Amino acid sequence: MQRLLQIGLCCCFAGFSILVPPTCAQKSKPKAAEVKPNKKQKEFAKALNKLPLKTPEDKKKMLEYIRYTMPTRVLAKKIQFSSLDLDKSLKHQIGLTDSGFAKRIDDEAFLRRACLDTIGSVPDAEVVEKFVASTDPRKRRKLIDELLEMDEFGRNWARYWTSVIFYESSANKNRVNRQALEDWLSEQFQQNQRWDRITAELVSAMPKYKKGKKEDKNDWGQKHGPNNFVLSCDNKPGEIAAKTARLFMGISIQCAECHDHPFDQWKREQFHELTAFFSPGSYYMTDSADPTEKTKMQAKFLLGEKPVENLKADVRRVAVAAYLIYNPSNYWFARAYVNRVWSQLLGDGFYAVDSLGPDAEVIHKTLVNRIASMFRYRDFDTKWLFRLVMNSEAYQRDIRTIDSQSDLFTAVRPTRLRGDHVATAVEKLVGPDANLSSAVKTTFDLNPSVAQRNLEGSIQQALLLMNNKSLQSKLISSELKKRVVAMKSDNDAVAAIYLGTLARKPQSQEMTRSLAYLRESDNRNEAIDDLIWVLVNSTEFITKR
Amino acid sequence: MHLNLHGRTKPVSRRGFLQLSSAAGLMGSNFLSQIGVSAEQLKKEQRACILVWLAGAPSQMDTFDPKPGTPNGGATKSIKTAVPGIEIAEFFPKVAQMMNDVSIIRSMAGKEAAHERGTYHLHTGRRLTGTLKFPSFGSVVANEIGDPDFDLPNFVSIGKTVSSGFLGVRVAPFVVNRPGELPANVSTVIAQERQRKRLALLKSQDSDFEKAGAAELVKEHELLYRRATRLMASPGLKAFQLETASESDKLAYGKTPLGQGLLVARQLVEAGVPFVEVRRGGWDMHSNLWRNMPRAAADVDNGLSQLMTDLKQRGMFEKTLVICMGEFGRTPKINARPPAPGRDHWARNFATLLAGSGIKGGQVVGKTDVNGQEIIDRPVEVEDLFQTLCKSMGVNADKELYSTSGRPLRIVDGGEPVSEILA
Repeated sequence: MQRLLQIGLCCCFAGFSILVPPTCAQKSKPKAAEVKPNKKQKEFAKALNKLPLKTPEDKKKMLEYIRYTMPTRVLAKKIQFSSLDLDKSLKHQIGLTDSGFAKRIDDEAFLRRACLDTIGSVPDAEVVEKFVASTDPRKRRKLIDELLEMDEFGRNWARYWTSVIFYESSANKNRVNRQALEDWLSEQFQQNQRWDRITAELVSAMPKYKKGKKEDKNDWGQKHGPNNFVLSCDNKPGEIAAKTARLFMGISIQCAECHDHPFDQWKREQFHELTAFFSPGSYYMTDSADPTEKTKMQAKFLLGEKPVENLKADVRRVAVAAYLIYNPSNYWFARAYVNRVWSQLLGDGFYAVDSLGPDAEVIHKTLVNRIASMFRYRDFDTKWLFRLVMNSEAYQRDIRTIDSQSDLFTAVRPTRLRGDHVATAVEKLVGPDANLSSAVKTTFDLNPSVAQRNLEGSIQQALLLMNNKSLQSKLISSELKKRVVAMKSDNDAVAAIYLGTLARKPQSQEMTRSLAYLRESDNRNEAIDDLIWVLVNSTEFITKR
Repeated sequence: MHLNLHGRTKPVSRRGFLQLSSAAGLMGSNFLSQIGVSAEQLKKEQRACILVWLAGAPSQMDTFDPKPGTPNGGATKSIKTAVPGIEIAEFFPKVAQMMNDVSIIRSMAGKEAAHERGTYHLHTGRRLTGTLKFPSFGSVVANEIGDPDFDLPNFVSIGKTVSSGFLGVRVAPFVVNRPGELPANVSTVIAQERQRKRLALLKSQDSDFEKAGAAELVKEHELLYRRATRLMASPGLKAFQLETASESDKLAYGKTPLGQGLLVARQLVEAGVPFVEVRRGGWDMHSNLWRNMPRAAADVDNGLSQLMTDLKQRGMFEKTLVICMGEFGRTPKINARPPAPGRDHWARNFATLLAGSGIKGGQVVGKTDVNGQEIIDRPVEVEDLFQTLCKSMGVNADKELYSTSGRPLRIVDGGEPVSEILA
């Protein structure tokens, strides 16, 4: 660390620009023009290449130094942005009076929504009753704080990001370890590790195949969780570049691999310049007209930052992580995370989470940009973002059909539960069953990067919840069923069924309907099974409302 | 209906399509006439495809491009076929007899020599790059010619396969692991009357939720439950099973997973399923090739020839495309692996077999050199193959489909149909 600091200081660069060659720094520091750039550059590359940047620990130290000198940190102390500010700003942008917005959700719906969004499961009946009964005016805020401190919060979001990283990955399954990534991410989120650090570790990793006496061709260091981002791309430079831009900047540049995108600002060359960061050796772009012609590409980040030439591969990865994360003009980075979380929480994003074209496609741009810059000022504190959004009126509104752009964020969009959420909900009812759980996860699997409005359900999902043999046989002997059967009052029984499946009390018409069903049946036991079956098969069961 | 948030949204969203299809169900032929086809015509024209997938990549040298008497050819002899001048490997005597009905492409020029990548390439016509996943040809067929309102799934796969990519779950393969097995969760022990009551109660439950603001999801949910219920009650489900098949049919197809799988495939196609894939593994013969080939080949020889015979007898051959292929070929040079030699991965040239719908039989396309290492005549790229498949299925290969982010993507990107084998 001492050495890193020395180099950083003796080069007189702010941390972020430590990897920017002296010639580039001339713009802001005309004095440097006196030195011979070529010689200086070479020395600089030499110095950087000498840095111990091989192990993840080395890389972390270096990135930590760059982070420490990030200019935004200084600004951050003076600026406040609360959930109230968020709502004020959003209302101003939408330009409707209060009547144009959906009303505040009731406690039950809020509790279920907040639990699903943080810990990924539906609350137990007792929790629902206790929460509803509480008269504490700050109970929602307190609940959010409690949920964010639970280990399941880390696990739930680790699952989300693992799914994002691995969705449709074509990497050899023996050379990746999803679980290791999930466990690592889970730990990071639990400890409230900052998003920049998490990303930096993922992007700067350079897993290598371990040669040695006990050679295992499939050992690429995938047991080390953060290696799996790169490994999920099959270690292919082009894929790592595309996925880095897609997940961490929210932009789609993979089309630019072959041609300039007709709508986007990214050129084919830029894609290949970004790819050059991830290439272990020299990287060549194939000419699109004549495939035999190849041009050697120098690494250059999307905003034009160029590291000195001839850097070692490991150093180049640290450089790309620094350009991605710690360049304050790269507003895409913070905004991509904000937009992801926002679209998970409210059901719609400010733009398509991983395929933003021109910036003109961003809805309510000033607001999302503001939240994003605040997120940067807050040191990329993910829990800060959750608190900000979840305590807002925008998040705590009722669901409503959202048909047009002008409806966005006037209500919350009801969304499909993820496969693992449905599996958890089922497990809550019938107890652990590995086979059933895995069938549910597979059948309800959804692409976490596709907007909710573009997702669709399948017949297989319906068939599973309707007929799956283990599920059906376990439902009729479940704890809930036993408890309900023992209840003398039908009213209590119906209430318990709704609480146990949908985490809320029945509405009056639901109560009336269910009571009639029980009354008309000549087999109470079967009728109870029917009521449970109906709620498990209801749209609401697999929906976050 | 559909939000245009990024200016590149596809004209009809998937959801929109689902609604369209449910609307089609209500309006019946009215809808079809609106899009320019009569239901009758559609039914008459209904083509189908059976893909016999040889997973692991079969050796072209020991199947349809033998090189007897050369060092690379190994011990494999060739036999005469029903077409003078065309010879194939000795392991396929029954297919050889039907050479008038099948065409062979001996000059497939692949690009991927790893299983997963090759499997993807030969299922989608696209190479595996980036994060965009293309639909398997089965999903394309289901999307293009499948009746969205059909009781049964439009794409069934016996054994795992490449999925529907950006076309989504609507046209994803219904996978059945073993031939004769029903798709998962289609049967229930609940009596009909009770089931009806449950579904009625479910409808009320959902309609409350619909009013509470979840109309879009509830509508789709209702449609899916209606279709699931219809599938459960469909007489077409019998086509998945072998109970009604005659013993002689079962025997004729061969009592192997592939044989029985092809029998089920024929039943499904007869029931109206437009695309069925049957997977037969065991072709990754790095070693022990000459020990394993006779049995694997006999299985295919038997099943494939019986399938074609059966389709012809039922008058379905002209409307059913039969494809038999794997993900790539195998090295012309024989390796020296213990315990007995075999062949390794090779994508530069390999062979595929096509028959049925729109295919002229008795043709051999392309030629490899005497050592089987170079294509010396008429290379056929994977795109050319897919153009040919589209042509023979009546699918417009130039049509643009829309990715989830709204990118327009042609069904087949480039290439020319192999006109020599198109009828």
